Amino acid sequence: MAICAFLVAGFAIAIMLILRGTENSLRLANDRLGADIIVVPVGTTTKVETALLMGNPTEVWMPESNLATIAAVPGVAAASPQLYLSTLNNAACCSVASMFLVAYDPTTDFTIEPWLNKTIGRGLKLGEVVGGTHVFVPEGEQNIKIYGYFVTLKANIEPTGTGLDQSMFLTLETARDIARLSTELAEKPLIIPEKSISAVLLRLEPGTDPMTVSAEIIRRVPGVTPITSPNMFQAYRQQMTGLLASILLVLGITLVLSGLLIALVFSMAANERRRELGVLRAMGATRNFVLRSLLLEASILALEGGLAGISFTILVFFLFRNLIMRSFGFPFLLPNPGLLLIEITVGLVLALACVTIAAMIPAYRISHMEPALAMRE
Amino acid sequence: MIQLEKVSKTYWMSKENAIHAVLETSLNIKKGEFLIITGRSGSGKTTLLNLIAGLTRPSSGRVILDGQDLWSLTDQQQSRIRNRKIGFIFQFPSLLPSLTALENVVLPTIFNADHTKGTGTPRAEELMETVGLNDKLNAFPRQLSAGQQQRVVVARALLNHPELLLADEPTSDLDEQTETEIMDMFQQIHHASGITIVLVTHSTQLVRYGSRAIHMAGGVIETMVNN
Repeated sequence: MAICAFLVAGFAIAIMLILRGTENSLRLANDRLGADIIVVPVGTTTKVETALLMGNPTEVWMPESNLATIAAVPGVAAASPQLYLSTLNNAACCSVASMFLVAYDPTTDFTIEPWLNKTIGRGLKLGEVVGGTHVFVPEGEQNIKIYGYFVTLKANIEPTGTGLDQSMFLTLETARDIARLSTELAEKPLIIPEKSISAVLLRLEPGTDPMTVSAEIIRRVPGVTPITSPNMFQAYRQQMTGLLASILLVLGITLVLSGLLIALVFSMAANERRRELGVLRAMGATRNFVLRSLLLEASILALEGGLAGISFTILVFFLFRNLIMRSFGFPFLLPNPGLLLIEITVGLVLALACVTIAAMIPAYRISHMEPALAMRE
Repeated sequence: MIQLEKVSKTYWMSKENAIHAVLETSLNIKKGEFLIITGRSGSGKTTLLNLIAGLTRPSSGRVILDGQDLWSLTDQQQSRIRNRKIGFIFQFPSLLPSLTALENVVLPTIFNADHTKGTGTPRAEELMETVGLNDKLNAFPRQLSAGQQQRVVVARALLNHPELLLADEPTSDLDEQTETEIMDMFQQIHHASGITIVLVTHSTQLVRYGSRAIHMAGGVIETMVNN
């Protein structure tokens, strides 16, 4: 019975952790990007979203001239270009392997610069970078080496549970300096195509309809796809919906099977103690007393099993969150203590309800049996 | 004290197959009596005792305790009567294995709405002394012999100062010497408190302990003897 409660509560908390953790992560990533619209080369939406969410580096390009055209679209308050680059894998010239690099223009940027001004009081200088929460300087070194070029890690952004946590942000000037020197310093040079950018981040004027602006961008600039903020990571949300349906099905099956198993086990356990319960009735225990006692016992077992299941699941998520994130291919952020407490409560209530409902029929049957019949062999 | 009016108890094994455990039996048990019910296995003596105790509902007839039809009462009222007025001693080991001897004796107090728990422990200790087990208060049932366990059960049955003590073959699993000790104890309790005792046994040798004895066969009272 406790094992069933363990499974039910464990599954429930796992589902809540995944759903809330992913949703939280997507929301934070969206907030962190801070753009109303991101314009990317046509056909690269999934690549860019995967890079931002999972930190899988990508290189997508479109003409730099798109920037001016897009900035001129009515309703656009600010437009800032970004370059998406990556470090080399298994190369001595890079102390961080296959890391997603985001180069931005500090003169037009409205997403990273305001945060920098608030955090370190100024923008990034040449050779300086900002890292996601999991980016750090290798042990025993002062700087991070990218294409043989030493950059200084100035700050780390708060966790989002997405690929942004394993990404690095630098200015266009630094990126171009790295590219220039990489021909001599790196095993393989960093190539930034001439007059090319990867994406344009847009902030709209208040009250502007993003869909109207998107339509206008598509009309004016061929070969690009504008992704509006609410539709950001839509592919992941759809994937999550599919995953949710499967998980809910598994939870449903687990609940039904656990319920049946609990009813059977409880019925057998109560039957074994039939004589004992008959003696209690003979001594003056009412039917309700016996029913309450049996249900209380079931509830205690449910709480014990539920707590064990929840503790185990949370521990697994805490220890292996990166592995889970990589295996299932979705971003994930552990909830804050308040939210976690609510999720734990929901998991316990579900385990308690499942066990109590399943135990109700056998407990009622035994408690309403004639004492003489209960005491018979 | 107790009247059984044409009481019958039938167990239906299937639609056609019925066992008539007790058949239209009438019996009047007076206050302070020590009634011994004898009979062979399947004669209906245990069923009769269960009917007297209200542990099983009669198929027909009435069971009247102190002027009240037991089966006109609610479950709560019946349970209260069992708790306050009746003490039970069963044939099988009926102590809860996870409780000590003293805790087992105090157990009936938890079903008492007035919660005599505070006075329950001194009373339980006194009873344990009466049954000669004051040195076994903290022993668990598995640490006691069958005879000692049955003494604890007697102490438990007497906890709430019952008016009626019902014993179902209380000595069936005991050796001859222990049987005599237990039966002497019943007689002593009966003389000391004047409690009404109904004791079921298959042994006709124990008839001498009672003030009256009835013999059952085939679900009916065959003979009745006053000592």
